[in-house]
Amino acid sequence: MTATTELRDAPIDAAGHRAPSAAASDRTPGDPRAVPVLEVHDLGIRTGGRDLVAGVTFSIGAGRTLALIGQSGSGKSMTAAAIMGLLPPDVTVSAETRIELDGRRLPHADDGAMRAFRGTALAMVFQDPMSCLNPFMTVGAQIEEALWRRGVVDPVVRRERSLALMAAVELPTPESLRRRLPHELSGGQQQRIMLAMALAAEPRLLIADEPTSALDASVQAEILALLARLQARFGMAILFITHDLAAARRLGHEIMVMRHGRVVDFGAPRTIFTTPRHPHTRALVAVREMLERPPAPRRSAGTPVLEIAGVGFDYPPRRFLDRPSPALREVSLTLTAGRSLGVIGESGSGKSTLAAIVAGLKTPISGDVRLFGTSLAAHRFALPRALRRRVQIVFQNPHGALNPRHTIATAMREPLDLLHIGPRRARPERVAEALGWVGLDPDLRLRHPHALSGGQRQRVAIARALLSEPDLLVCDEVVSALDATVGAEILDLLRRLQAERGFALMFVGHDLEVVRWIADEIAVLADGRLVEHGPADRVLVAPASVAARRLVEAGRRADQPSDPAK
Amino acid sequence: MRRLLPVVTALAAGLARALAIVAVAFFLCRVMPGDVVDVLGLEGGLTDAQQAELRAALGLDRPVIAQFVDWGAQALGGDFGRSVRFDRPVAEMLVHAAPVTLELALGSFGVGIGLAFGLAIAATSLRSRVLDAVIDALNVWSIAVPTFCAGVVGIIVFSLWLGWLPVIGSLVLPILIIGLDNAGQIVKLVREDLAEAVMLPHVRTARAKGLSPWRIALVHVLPVAAPIALVLSGLVLSGLVAGTLTMEILFGLPGIGSLMLNAVHGRDLPVVLAAVTVVAVALVAINTLVDALHRLIDPRVTR
Repeated sequence: MTATTELRDAPIDAAGHRAPSAAASDRTPGDPRAVPVLEVHDLGIRTGGRDLVAGVTFSIGAGRTLALIGQSGSGKSMTAAAIMGLLPPDVTVSAETRIELDGRRLPHADDGAMRAFRGTALAMVFQDPMSCLNPFMTVGAQIEEALWRRGVVDPVVRRERSLALMAAVELPTPESLRRRLPHELSGGQQQRIMLAMALAAEPRLLIADEPTSALDASVQAEILALLARLQARFGMAILFITHDLAAARRLGHEIMVMRHGRVVDFGAPRTIFTTPRHPHTRALVAVREMLERPPAPRRSAGTPVLEIAGVGFDYPPRRFLDRPSPALREVSLTLTAGRSLGVIGESGSGKSTLAAIVAGLKTPISGDVRLFGTSLAAHRFALPRALRRRVQIVFQNPHGALNPRHTIATAMREPLDLLHIGPRRARPERVAEALGWVGLDPDLRLRHPHALSGGQRQRVAIARALLSEPDLLVCDEVVSALDATVGAEILDLLRRLQAERGFALMFVGHDLEVVRWIADEIAVLADGRLVEHGPADRVLVAPASVAARRLVEAGRRADQPSDPAK
Repeated sequence: MRRLLPVVTALAAGLARALAIVAVAFFLCRVMPGDVVDVLGLEGGLTDAQQAELRAALGLDRPVIAQFVDWGAQALGGDFGRSVRFDRPVAEMLVHAAPVTLELALGSFGVGIGLAFGLAIAATSLRSRVLDAVIDALNVWSIAVPTFCAGVVGIIVFSLWLGWLPVIGSLVLPILIIGLDNAGQIVKLVREDLAEAVMLPHVRTARAKGLSPWRIALVHVLPVAAPIALVLSGLVLSGLVAGTLTMEILFGLPGIGSLMLNAVHGRDLPVVLAAVTVVAVALVAINTLVDALHRLIDPRVTR
């Protein structure tokens, strides 16, 4: 633990920069002779006689980053929790497991003994910074608490040290931010506070569990870059857990791929990308390659299907006397038959509200929406029955969109019954047929939603939307809740169905790559205003607006293999 | 300042509510057929002229509104008039009765809240099934056993059989009985709230920071449970009005409850009115205080 002492005692100048100490510069990052900071041997995690993780072995050296990648349920977060000694009560680590920190074995089974390591040699940041910060404490107090834990007793020193840490994570005006409560900060600022708190421990190992997944794309890229800079300065080892191969490539010196609780692939980022060994890794890389090479856009032709003209929308005031807050202002867009329009923007930009207005689920306060030439304003934004079957919407969360008490067949029959589509007797047959369109076994129709995977449920939701043979399909973040490989399959499916059936597609998303892949033209929303609209290639190559440039740059930065190993 | 403004409005709303309750009580007392003079007239055989004279002297011939304003002005100054039955100042009777009720109420409140939170915190941190069973038992007890039944059985067992406590005047049994009842009403809610609170992500962050279990419990878990604790405390305090009344009568304690009941029996309206006023103001004060504290504790409520 000498190194941590050095870090603590190294003087910090006014800007919060630590003068490099002689001992710290002795230890070149990644020196193969040095004892690795973390060594995990034959890690096994089980609950109720079931193996969650088995035979996981790896090590991380000082100043190095291991990117641990895997889809949901792969055991990657469990691995992190086991190292920290933070597993849930009914989950245990197997007897063969050996976890060593700087060559010393960690007492991972003994919670009391593990506490000595947490907040000192081990620190961790989590996925959703908003809920991971104590809502009742100012952020300054939370950083100071971590310093207090580290033995900084003098309150004046603690105050100074916390301000220096906030400067180190590149937060503007630490002095005023210090007194704020977490909910008064943006998501990116919250995650920086979490990082400052972790750095207060002066950890040998920093575990970052999906630290950017809950953040907007441009903020994600900033936080990843910050992590790399902090590592260069403080020299800690990082275990970076992610589901995003692009982020793993950007930050990891090595990449480890987990699936079903086992390591299936391991290597330098370049090796993983050029010669993936395991089929699962190949699938992950294939998704990346697919997203990096979007298909050519279709020619613009045909009649307008959707015309949005000067639409505005206000969220209702939360309390009496509050003013309504604007969600959309003067948005105008058109979409012609058979083409797909991508609507992109950061959270809170109004993109989902726009989707809901087009589907007739929300009533705008101004402007008009014309569907197939029919003005919705003339119908007070209640979709006439004739239009209802021609416009369908699919949502982000397929679990919430399907009634858990109904079988798939019942859930899918509903729109047919409500819209009086086809003869009653032919309907069960039609449901089975629709499941075939989306590549599902028709026998699944007898099951309940909980017996299906997330991807299958989203396929069901799409099949249900297609039953009425819509001419316009609105997709609101339909792949955001899915694992990368499953999401790619859904994208591919949507594109294939669109080619077969020729419906127009309005695809709302926050992930630039995904939207770029599916859309012929892209509209960018920022703070409820349309700031850019044009052919997908043009918007991406030469974005005119600041908001679009931010999104594109964030995507590009996350994309490039910066190859930190050098 | 932004946090203080809603507290001020809450206080104003509370005052208005108290005033409304007192006004309704006042007018209900006046609406009842027959007044003090009628009762005295029947008892003492006063002539019509004497009755009219007495009414004029007491101000009962004036409009009800004017009477209410007069009474209210005097009540604000602490003068609730004289008891018709005992011919003593009502304020003096209240001063004698209030400490008994206050002692009973605060004692049982302390026992109830202490027992509920003690059990819930212990069950949460020890993950004990035995304690969870105790919590369930206490909950069923409070639902199934009315306090007056427990009181009667308690008198039989502890006073008559064992002879440990006097039958009349002891506060021990009533405090324990109401305390148990209060604890049973809220202990399960507190337990469930704490069980949820320890699973929150920011509590996991606190563990990852290597903080001691004590610090985690006090600084990171309890503030989450504070709002519900406050709401439940308010509930318990309001429930004490009915609870103390039963116990005072059963155990012969000379508190506000006994005073009120005797006054109702004797048509001693000034006393009834004064007792109702005191209880109403206390109730509203408790609710307002709980509301104001809630806003101060949870910074998110006001936004």
